[in-house]
Amino acid sequence: MLLESLEVHNFRNLSGKVSWSPGLNLIFGDNGQGKTNWLEAIYLLATTKSFRTQRPQEAIRFDENLAIVRGVVARSREVQRELQVTIQGSTKTLSVNSKREAVARYLGQLHTVAFTADELEVVRGGPDARRKFLDRGVVSLHHTYVQTLADYQRVIRQKNRLLQDAADAELSIAETAARLEPWNEQLIGLSAEIHRARVDYVNRLNEALERKLFGHEEVSIRYVSSLESKGDLSDYEALLTDRLRLRVQAEMAAGYALIGAHRDDLEILFDGRDMRTFGSSGQQRSALIILDLAAVSVYHSWHSEYPLFLMDDVDAELDRKRIDHLLEYLEGRTQTFVTTSKEGLVERYADRAYLVEVTNGIAQEINTSVSKSSTVITGTAGI
Amino acid sequence: MLEYAEPVTKLIDEFKRLPGVGQKSAQRLAFHVLRMSEAEVERLVAALEEVKRKIVFCSICNNLTDVDPCRFCASTNRDRSIICVVEEPYNLVAIEKTRSYHGLYHILHGSLSPIRGIAPEDLRLANLLPRLRPENNDGVEVREVILATNPNTEGEATASYISRLLKPLGVRTTRIAMGMPVGSDLEYVDEVTMDKALANRHDI
Repeated sequence: MLLESLEVHNFRNLSGKVSWSPGLNLIFGDNGQGKTNWLEAIYLLATTKSFRTQRPQEAIRFDENLAIVRGVVARSREVQRELQVTIQGSTKTLSVNSKREAVARYLGQLHTVAFTADELEVVRGGPDARRKFLDRGVVSLHHTYVQTLADYQRVIRQKNRLLQDAADAELSIAETAARLEPWNEQLIGLSAEIHRARVDYVNRLNEALERKLFGHEEVSIRYVSSLESKGDLSDYEALLTDRLRLRVQAEMAAGYALIGAHRDDLEILFDGRDMRTFGSSGQQRSALIILDLAAVSVYHSWHSEYPLFLMDDVDAELDRKRIDHLLEYLEGRTQTFVTTSKEGLVERYADRAYLVEVTNGIAQEINTSVSKSSTVITGTAGI
Repeated sequence: MLEYAEPVTKLIDEFKRLPGVGQKSAQRLAFHVLRMSEAEVERLVAALEEVKRKIVFCSICNNLTDVDPCRFCASTNRDRSIICVVEEPYNLVAIEKTRSYHGLYHILHGSLSPIRGIAPEDLRLANLLPRLRPENNDGVEVREVILATNPNTEGEATASYISRLLKPLGVRTTRIAMGMPVGSDLEYVDEVTMDKALANRHDI
């Protein structure tokens, strides 16, 4: 897939229209001009969400009540679609070719893998960020997994409340166990589904890992079920049923659900050592990039097309050597959008990148030898 | 200072308590009432009062009714050996529209939801088990209970809870199927429903 052009009205400080190149797009400019906002607009068009805020209305330009992000996406040489996200107050409206679409049908039209400062939580934060990373990946292959996750979260919320209420009402263990059963029954089925989907996705990632992209250190990952040391994982449902029965009292004491896929983690090893505690911040960034590239590769082998790759503030995140390795790897694969405030990088890539300078929210293409997508779509690799 | 005169504000606030009614709808309804004739308003008030005064829960199935037992439970034409459990009276109406179900009903008036403070004792369940005994069912033995609660997490939990209650009694307990809406094209079905329909496929 290819984002040919992007038109923005009143989204943060942005206005106007930009055509993009099918290869590397380098968005540069001084700090505070709106480089990241352009990246955020692309991310919004793909995911309907922002990587910066949970509340869409924050992204509307001050004193305006309507923001529009519209993009032309080429799915093949012949098929183009116009996607649009309209934010009005706290509501978002989605449309494809000027017709309103439900979110379930809208998603999947444009897929991005984004490397941002926030995403570093995956390699140095808590397990929650890693589970979300995996779940994003699973959803990119199976849309219906969104419903599985939503149902699971709902069941966990219901169960947590039940456990708190049971403690407040001083219910007996037997009575609490009886009340938990209808929820645990669903928890078991959904947790098993999530467990299998994530394990399968981790296997795919492992096969796709460019382990030594940045040098001789080797990255490997492993899905760590919270039930791992408790018994035979090959019969997940039976093991989970058993654990839930044994741990009623502990769950009552805790006041929340202690067992299930919401307690699992992803182990990321760099040369056999745990990334989170042993990795330097450079190694953590390398590991995350390698994971993101594996996600790109898994997506490609499943859908036979590449997602967009977005990277915010590339030189703050990676040194020169790593940037070169990364961009070289992406060339001929993804349509790539990178922001930078460093003149040096712009000069170094002037002959290979499509350059867009951002000044006060306005994006201006700089004349280079690299053509934009509306005139040439070369090869099939980038599409 | 209030934007509207006190009686108008009071009416708007009352409308806003109704489900699905926000500030704008409440305002529109209130101003509609102001434009209505005296007779129309009296008719509305009478209807509200009457529904409160005359409608009771059926002592057998908990349906909303103006006669107890309700017309379903009192009917001599219905199959008394089968009971369909639903969450709300309007779910009964949905099943009744098929005209293919001739059994009895049992209405729970809700589904299990700890978040909303609904525990088993808050559902109208206490009178379900006694119904299964022939002496409480015009001498007819109940051979099947259909659990037709909603296909969401709360409905599933409720069905699961009731099936556990019924298990020791040995009565056949079934859950309504989930899958394709009939009469539509495959292409219009959402992915989750399609997924369920594929999982629940059967031999022909």
